[in-house]
Amino acid sequence: MLSAMGVSRQFGKGFMLEPLSFDVEAGEVVAVVGANGAGKTTLIKCLLGLIRFNGQVTVGGVDVSRDGKGARKLIGYLPQNPAFHQDLTVAETVKFYGQLRGATEEDGRSAVEAVGLIEHADKQVGALSGGMKQRLALAVLKLGEPPVQILDEPATGLDVDARKDLRAFILEGRRGGKATLLSTHWLEDVPSTADRVLVLKDGKLDFLGPSSSMANGGAGSRLQLRLNGHTAAAGPVIEAAVSMAKVTQEGEWLTVQCRPEDKGRVLQALAAAGITILDFRLSGQELISRAASVGGEELH
Amino acid sequence: MNATLTIMRKELRDATRSRWLVMYAVAFALIALAFGVVQEQGDVGAQGFNRTTASIINLCILLVPLLALVIGAGSIAGERDRGTMTTLLSQPLTPTELLIGKYLGLTIAAWIAVALGFGAAGMLLALVSPVTDFGHYLLFIVLSGALASAMLSIGMLISVLSDGRAKALAISVLAWFGFVLFYDLAAMGVALSLTSSGESLLVAAVANPVESVRILAILSLEPDLNVLGPLGAYLKTQFGTAGSSMLLSLAVLFWAAVPMTAATFVFRKQDV
Repeated sequence: MLSAMGVSRQFGKGFMLEPLSFDVEAGEVVAVVGANGAGKTTLIKCLLGLIRFNGQVTVGGVDVSRDGKGARKLIGYLPQNPAFHQDLTVAETVKFYGQLRGATEEDGRSAVEAVGLIEHADKQVGALSGGMKQRLALAVLKLGEPPVQILDEPATGLDVDARKDLRAFILEGRRGGKATLLSTHWLEDVPSTADRVLVLKDGKLDFLGPSSSMANGGAGSRLQLRLNGHTAAAGPVIEAAVSMAKVTQEGEWLTVQCRPEDKGRVLQALAAAGITILDFRLSGQELISRAASVGGEELH
Repeated sequence: MNATLTIMRKELRDATRSRWLVMYAVAFALIALAFGVVQEQGDVGAQGFNRTTASIINLCILLVPLLALVIGAGSIAGERDRGTMTTLLSQPLTPTELLIGKYLGLTIAAWIAVALGFGAAGMLLALVSPVTDFGHYLLFIVLSGALASAMLSIGMLISVLSDGRAKALAISVLAWFGFVLFYDLAAMGVALSLTSSGESLLVAAVANPVESVRILAILSLEPDLNVLGPLGAYLKTQFGTAGSSMLLSLAVLFWAAVPMTAATFVFRKQDV
């Protein structure tokens, strides 16, 4: 439903979002994790066509660079700091954005009701609390029921109850078949909320894989192996035994990145091929530690 | 198109709510009434409206550009400052639709302010003065609206090029100073001192919408072009009264269209 192919962006001689590719399927939630400045918001702006970029983004088959308006009609976006016109009321705001999104007044009313703001419909946006503004932004996001949702740091500043509501909102979207991209520092809920996780570090894709690897305590666990002279032959042996393993060679060390539950199969395959392991290192907490290093203290 | 109309309606509603539209309308009305009453006491009969019109032209071309430049300059830069630009452009809306919708909304609001203000004053004056030349007064209202459209276009370009509202407003005030005050002293003076040819004076006149509107207003009151001095003599010889009016009107139209076109081109290329 949402597809990014070789998306990159250079800002002068400074920060660069390096080419990255991924898809978000209907009914799937992908969490983008990264430190401040890692490139999460830049990536999201590329997906929305708000900034120029190299590569291609399509939403439901519509190319964002060629038909940004058409693509954005298929995307509901929750900005990191939702900003609306302060002098409009909640109802007027939803009506205004509803008109832009081609939603009816009834759709607008349902959206306001769904986020629990119906009692505040006549209140000016300027008089709303941060949490209420967040809910208003969710109501706007729902207008026209777009099949793709992009949420940029949605949990920032929310209390525990609001975060629960937000989690329920995301899961409801998943059940409803929406493709959801979620940028977050909200690491502890990633395994239960997202299907896959994409870790960005300094503008580079650091990891893309199942979010269950976070729950399992590794992500690919990373095995580093020093072998008895059969290093070159070991790669194909491992990849034949564990299809999702990624094997790279660094000097005399072979690095194997795989799902935690596949570690044993890697060792068995090497033994069966007569390759002796002289030494090994295991980074079983790889993803969780990466995520923690980019996600700040919320993990702990 | 729907998106453009939605933005246009919002701008109109904002203009009404923020009261600037009403404030300017009241200010225009009071100014016109004050001049009208003064003229009425000094003279006057059939010349009443022409005299009132002539009196307020100079004040009008001070105020209308200021109104238009300031509201134009605040439009896009204001959205950026409030953070609402990202929210707006993440919707099914192109930058061109946003810009044109804003321009149309603000232009209509400015025309309403001018028409309400000067129109209300004109009607009140008509009650106490014989109406023989109300047409000139109406034309003056139309010219004021056209001037507002041209200056709004320049204001929008300033807004698109500025990275903050304060900067945009500062530049717009400088632009107002340049177009309204400095230009008369400098550009026309330079044109006259370098060469007294009619061509250079004409170029100086059409290169500034304020100047074009000023001359158009004078032409509407005094079709004898000789009152404009060397420029008038040149216009009379080359274009005649109707041709001159057409040329100057096209100049105002150019100023309404070209800065907005440039603003649209730049805005489409900008990152949000």
